[in-house]
Amino acid sequence: MLLEVKKIDAGYGFLQILRKVSLEIDKGEYVCLVGPNGAGKSTTLKTIAGLIKPMAGEILFEGHPITGLPGNKVARRGISYVSEEMNLFVNMTVQENLYMGAYTVRDKKLQKERLDFVYNLFPRLAERRGQLAGTMSGGERKMLAIGRGMMSSPTLMLVDEPSFGLAPQLTETVFDSLEILRNSGVTIMLVEQNVTKTLEVTDRGYVLENGRIQLAGKSSDLASDPHVRKVFLGV
Amino acid sequence: MSNNPTVSAVEWFKSAAGLTISLAVIAALAATIDRGPYILVNTVVTGGMLSLVAMGLALVFGVMNIPMFAHGEYFMIGTLVAYYVFTPMNGYIDQHTGTLAAALLPLVAIIVAGLAGGVMGVLTEKLVFSNLRKRSRENWVMNSFLLTVGLSVVLINLHQLIFGTEFKGIVGYWRGAPLSIMDVFISRDRCMAFVLAAVMVTAFWLFMTYTRTGRAIRAVSQDETGALIVGIDLNGILLLTMSMSCALAAFAGASLLFMYPSYPSVGLEPLYMAWFVVILAGLGNVLGAVVGAFIVALLKVLTVEYIGSGWEFVVPSVLIIIILIFKPSGIFGSEVRGILDK
Repeated sequence: MLLEVKKIDAGYGFLQILRKVSLEIDKGEYVCLVGPNGAGKSTTLKTIAGLIKPMAGEILFEGHPITGLPGNKVARRGISYVSEEMNLFVNMTVQENLYMGAYTVRDKKLQKERLDFVYNLFPRLAERRGQLAGTMSGGERKMLAIGRGMMSSPTLMLVDEPSFGLAPQLTETVFDSLEILRNSGVTIMLVEQNVTKTLEVTDRGYVLENGRIQLAGKSSDLASDPHVRKVFLGV
Repeated sequence: MSNNPTVSAVEWFKSAAGLTISLAVIAALAATIDRGPYILVNTVVTGGMLSLVAMGLALVFGVMNIPMFAHGEYFMIGTLVAYYVFTPMNGYIDQHTGTLAAALLPLVAIIVAGLAGGVMGVLTEKLVFSNLRKRSRENWVMNSFLLTVGLSVVLINLHQLIFGTEFKGIVGYWRGAPLSIMDVFISRDRCMAFVLAAVMVTAFWLFMTYTRTGRAIRAVSQDETGALIVGIDLNGILLLTMSMSCALAAFAGASLLFMYPSYPSVGLEPLYMAWFVVILAGLGNVLGAVVGAFIVALLKVLTVEYIGSGWEFVVPSVLIIIILIFKPSGIFGSEVRGILDK
């Protein structure tokens, strides 16, 4: 197992959101976490990424415990988190942002290789390399956030709501780029509102409701599950 | 956003920053023609040192989000350490005027004082702010502001308790006749103070622009979570920032010991001046603080020259009020919004 989350409780201050959430991801898998608003999807990702300390439970990455490690140490282990808010460096150019993504990579040649890889994936970013991140459109920012997350050649990418607030056409681009990433061997955990599309592209999924894992299984099975169809797909 | 240099130059002149800088340059030149070149020289020397203090202030605000009102006390620590390091050397320097040692020993005192400021910065972050950060980040700006005020009171009174209230000053660091620049005689200490400030500002700018750590500091100032995500050791950067900014203030205090003898509240004047600069330039804008320092210095020199020396705080204060009413983000406020606006 690449990532094992064992019965974590987590939340903000006194507010507990996750209750005994357990999940597992194998190397090379494309897993999604779906659920209604406020179910705790983002909280789960933030807890794995080390931005929130779990109140109980354990997280293992490549067999080693990473529970309670600060975000920067988790990032160094090879987990890259692309947040919903993107958390770009708004006063830096696109290229500077990307190079910051490779902060843990000290090898200049490797940095350049990763940069070329990202520019290949998102030619749009290459066109805008000199522009300040804070002056870009929402879709471009999203691409930049994903690109920055890829700069450190992560083993596992946690992607939070990549299609949120994007035009349908851009959503396609974002999903396509995740597909390319996955084909290049990166394990991806995706949190999405767009349940139909997400269950189409991923291998496996977890359904989170009220801070608990309600269902787990193959994405194709989940898509035909009566409960999922009723709650998320409205049929 | 134009690629045409002439158009962007015109745009720049029309912006608040361009207008202010142009006006300041014109005012400086006019006053220089009217009263003599010493106006320009005074402005440059005062502005150089002020920029060190203001830069630290801007840095702490931009990166750590702390409105630092104890910054003057690190200036005070600088003067104090420099005094106690330099005084024992004084006799030796008197006997060996003109030797290399006599020229280098004052530098040693100033550098030791700067390092001491850095150590105090580390202690401050470790003992005060990191503890607050662990406890709660709610209402951070207000809480940390109150802490800095308390810290300032504690440090001033510690100085009074341990070292007393008398003036601990020196006649000068460097012996020898004043240098003559543009028909103005300036003491060697003043010249050196400016040179040291220029060296520090340049070194600092290079550090922030070209080094990995400098980029990490800028990244933290723009997005803390983003910095964590890419693997930057946040606590390390915060510690370094506080330490550097305190070291800058102590360095400035030490270089100016010949003008500001050490006493408990010596830091208040540079603190207020630095706050004028930071508000003028825009909170957290480090490079803007350097330019702002020269503008405030000019303002101060002009006020003393034309209105009278009792007014040197009044005029900048009025200006600050006007700026806060009409352009609260400061004259160098950029199109990208700062931390507080979120």
